[in-house]
Amino acid sequence: MKDSMYLAWRYLCHHRAKTLLLVLSLSVFLGLPLIMRAMSRATQRSLLDRAEATPLLLGKKGSSLDLVVEALYFQLKGAEAITEADVDAIQATGLALGIPIRTGLMARGFPLVGTSLDYFRFRNLRIAEGRGLAMMGECVLGTEAAKTLGLGPGDALLTSPSTLFDLAGVYSLKLNVVGVLQPSYGPDDEAVFVDVRTAWVAEGKGHGHQDLAGAGPDLVLKRKAGTVTANAKLLQYNEINESNVDSFHFHGDPSGYPVSAVIAVPHDEKSGVLLRGRYVDAEARQLVRPARVVDSLNKQIFRFERILEIVVWTVGLATAVMFVLVMVLSWRLRAEELRTMTRLGCSRWKAAQIMGSEIVIMVGASIFIAGVFGIVMAQYGETWLQNLILRGA
Amino acid sequence: MISLRDVRFEYPHGGFSLDVTELTVASGTRAAAIGPSGSGKTTLLNLISGIERPGSGEVSTAGVRVDQLSPAARRSFRITTVGFVFQEFLLLEYLDVFDNILYPYRLHPELGLEASVRSRARRLASDLGLASLFDRRPSELSQGERQRVAIARALVTEPGLILADEPTGNLDPATKQQALDLLFEQCEARSTTLLMVTHDHGLLDQFTQIVDVEALGPTEA
Repeated sequence: MKDSMYLAWRYLCHHRAKTLLLVLSLSVFLGLPLIMRAMSRATQRSLLDRAEATPLLLGKKGSSLDLVVEALYFQLKGAEAITEADVDAIQATGLALGIPIRTGLMARGFPLVGTSLDYFRFRNLRIAEGRGLAMMGECVLGTEAAKTLGLGPGDALLTSPSTLFDLAGVYSLKLNVVGVLQPSYGPDDEAVFVDVRTAWVAEGKGHGHQDLAGAGPDLVLKRKAGTVTANAKLLQYNEINESNVDSFHFHGDPSGYPVSAVIAVPHDEKSGVLLRGRYVDAEARQLVRPARVVDSLNKQIFRFERILEIVVWTVGLATAVMFVLVMVLSWRLRAEELRTMTRLGCSRWKAAQIMGSEIVIMVGASIFIAGVFGIVMAQYGETWLQNLILRGA
Repeated sequence: MISLRDVRFEYPHGGFSLDVTELTVASGTRAAAIGPSGSGKTTLLNLISGIERPGSGEVSTAGVRVDQLSPAARRSFRITTVGFVFQEFLLLEYLDVFDNILYPYRLHPELGLEASVRSRARRLASDLGLASLFDRRPSELSQGERQRVAIARALVTEPGLILADEPTGNLDPATKQQALDLLFEQCEARSTTLLMVTHDHGLLDQFTQIVDVEALGPTEA
């Protein structure tokens, strides 16, 4: 057997390109269906885990899937906003705790999530480095965001401007990083958390500037009925710190300020049922159970996965046929070699053993490659597939 | 060493037959098989080595009744007792010179590819002027060098009989004589019987026995 393996190995090494092509084709044939299935199952489980950990979600009436995807997984789907008043309304029922979620902006590629301190307790997110949010203008980074950006407590992070080419638009806000979260192996790892009021400032709903009370005519254009109109020389702050935090303010009624969704955490099961009852007939609001929404998404994924499996198996079958064809043609081309073997006195069994060894080596190499690929995909593929599904949802 | 008596061989689909009333080649002889194309020279070699089995008659090689052996036993007999040198060399491109020489050992594990065999193969290759070519592929060799590798492959198992089917047919005159000298020298050194098919009548005075295949018995085309 050793000699057969040796001859097979030398033959395969000599025909590197053909061998590599066959091995890679076989790797795909063997690995893809298994990897796809394993990744899909893991992804569905992980999606469902987070959804099941979120009892109720309040948002604007419309696509419940968009609402869940945006509020739970921080994938921007453009779900319409509700207002801070809805958070108060939930609290006012006495049935549940309302946690605001404001998404929409990014900070160097990571979603900026405006929320309250209750969110960290609710998700059981712990600080690994630094401290939690204490004042406006501060941010806490998810572990992956911190690692990728190379930031930690004491560093600064700019929000991405939403209107890059509009000079009159909202400018980036410089956030002070005060903490990094422990890994939670979910979307929180890739988010930048700020207080919801900081998110509003970043959106341009609130701002801070130099005091106009004692300002002279070089800065003030007019004063009328408590309204002061300043010229362009007025210094606007793009960072909130201890010295200027008092100058930051919001015009209008803060209860009308936008939040993307409200996580409602009922005090008990009965409270949850009662709360759901209150929103059954709500005209412009929906209170959804994320687990149900994700379950329905998973069913869709499962259906798609079945179709994909058929496609993959068909491709696999074609690959197998191609493999057999290449081997048969290769043996035909080697007819003279086989004749020489016979004339020298090689047994048929030995000749078959040599040819079989070639298949064994190639299949072995393919299983190895598929295995390595599978391990790599198990490590990194779940997040990739989850993002792919959520972006496509 | 080689003995054929009342042999009749016919290919299954007809068209050619070979009859040998009697042929004897003594041990250690340097014999040449001659005859026109289609006279059955290669078939004679095939019968002697057990590649083909006669319809009737006796074929005895190295004291073994080859015609009575099973196909598997004939293959085993062939690889242990007979060395082949082909006109087309039939070397394997995916093996280097050294592995080509040791090829019979890879095909028949019972031969035992031991360290002593490797050193013997190295010695043999050196004797044939191949020492510096061990790592080369057949395509990197000249025709004469390829034929020397083929001769080394035939001799490496130390067979009692070498069957050479027009081994110089593809070589130029100078290389041809060189290859023959080496083959004769090696066979003589090992007291190996040599039966060589040739069309080149100019070489015949170098052989101790001439076998005219046409004269062995009535042949018909």
